[in-house]
Amino acid sequence: MSNPDAYISLICSLPGSERLFIAKQPPLSRLRLDRRLKALKPEDARVLQVLENALSWSAYDMDVTDAQAMGRCKQALKEVPQSTLRKLFMERIEMRTVIAAMRLRKRGEGAPSGAFGMGRWSRHIPANWSDPGFRLETPMPWVKEAHQLLESDDPLGLERLLLSVSQKQLKRHAARHFFDFEAVAIYVLIWNIFDRWSQSNAEDAAKRFEALAQQAMANVTDIDFEGVSA
Amino acid sequence: MNELVVTLGWLGIYAPMALGAAASAIGCAIAGQASIGAMTETDGGYGRFVGVSAFPSTMVIYGIVIMFTLNRDVTPENAGGLFGIGILSGIALMYCGIWQGRACAAAINATKEKPEIFGLALAPAAIIEGFGVFAFVFALVISAGIS
Repeated sequence: MSNPDAYISLICSLPGSERLFIAKQPPLSRLRLDRRLKALKPEDARVLQVLENALSWSAYDMDVTDAQAMGRCKQALKEVPQSTLRKLFMERIEMRTVIAAMRLRKRGEGAPSGAFGMGRWSRHIPANWSDPGFRLETPMPWVKEAHQLLESDDPLGLERLLLSVSQKQLKRHAARHFFDFEAVAIYVLIWNIFDRWSQSNAEDAAKRFEALAQQAMANVTDIDFEGVSA
Repeated sequence: MNELVVTLGWLGIYAPMALGAAASAIGCAIAGQASIGAMTETDGGYGRFVGVSAFPSTMVIYGIVIMFTLNRDVTPENAGGLFGIGILSGIALMYCGIWQGRACAAAINATKEKPEIFGLALAPAAIIEGFGVFAFVFALVISAGIS
């Protein structure tokens, strides 16, 4: 257990995580967040970096294998001494394991032999491969909706569902930590979710803009681009 | 043996003051750090934050009053009573001060986002103050029975 009063000043200098999701403009940029995080002790900063790297997709190469990704997660777990952070890390990895299994199944692949992925459900998932939610509806009530979104080819909806579930998991852990290192780490992980959320909104907006632009341009055949007649 | 008992009596007289001072120092430091953090995030209301962070300073005042009330010639007959009242009221004040500091820090953190809940956010700190007052008042009441 960390010192419960270790980062009072740092936590109070951050805008509330609730505000991240309701603000029109991000109340805290990554640059400003990093500046505030300089108040972390070197060992805590290292743990936070390990945690963020292990959970961030952008930190993985495109051609990373399952074994490499799992090896990295196991290594990260060894470097995180705080039980709350280990627990929330495993919850996220278990969620990814379930989604990875759903994607494999959608691709038409059969049940893996032996364990699949990491966490408590690595043997349960192959054993219940034919069930839409791998019989995990009780511990993970969101699997049914995730399955439906995956089947209806709605990646953005699925992404938002997963971000929302992850955020709820983090908020649940945050209720037991106020001014310690765990509270700081949870805040940063929620900030990362907000960042992903806002990026997905931007991508959505860009796609919609492109579609609207194409629709509008389809009616204009003789538009003059920079003096050159189309 | 009597010397040890008398020493414990003196310890009991000074304990509320010493533990109350420690409580106020820790509590004010906790709440003070919160107010410093909140000031970097907000554009106003700084005086309010600093005022709230001074809440736990009352514990040392209670400790001083208990110390003066207990202060008398220490004899082997009254040393046990002085020790019991002094140490236990001091411990109570210390816990009240530290946790009041945490409650004030939480109030400051919440009111930087929502200034309209300022009064309500201070309720936990005020309730803890009430427990400190209980420890203080009943230490005075009980000490009247010591010769």
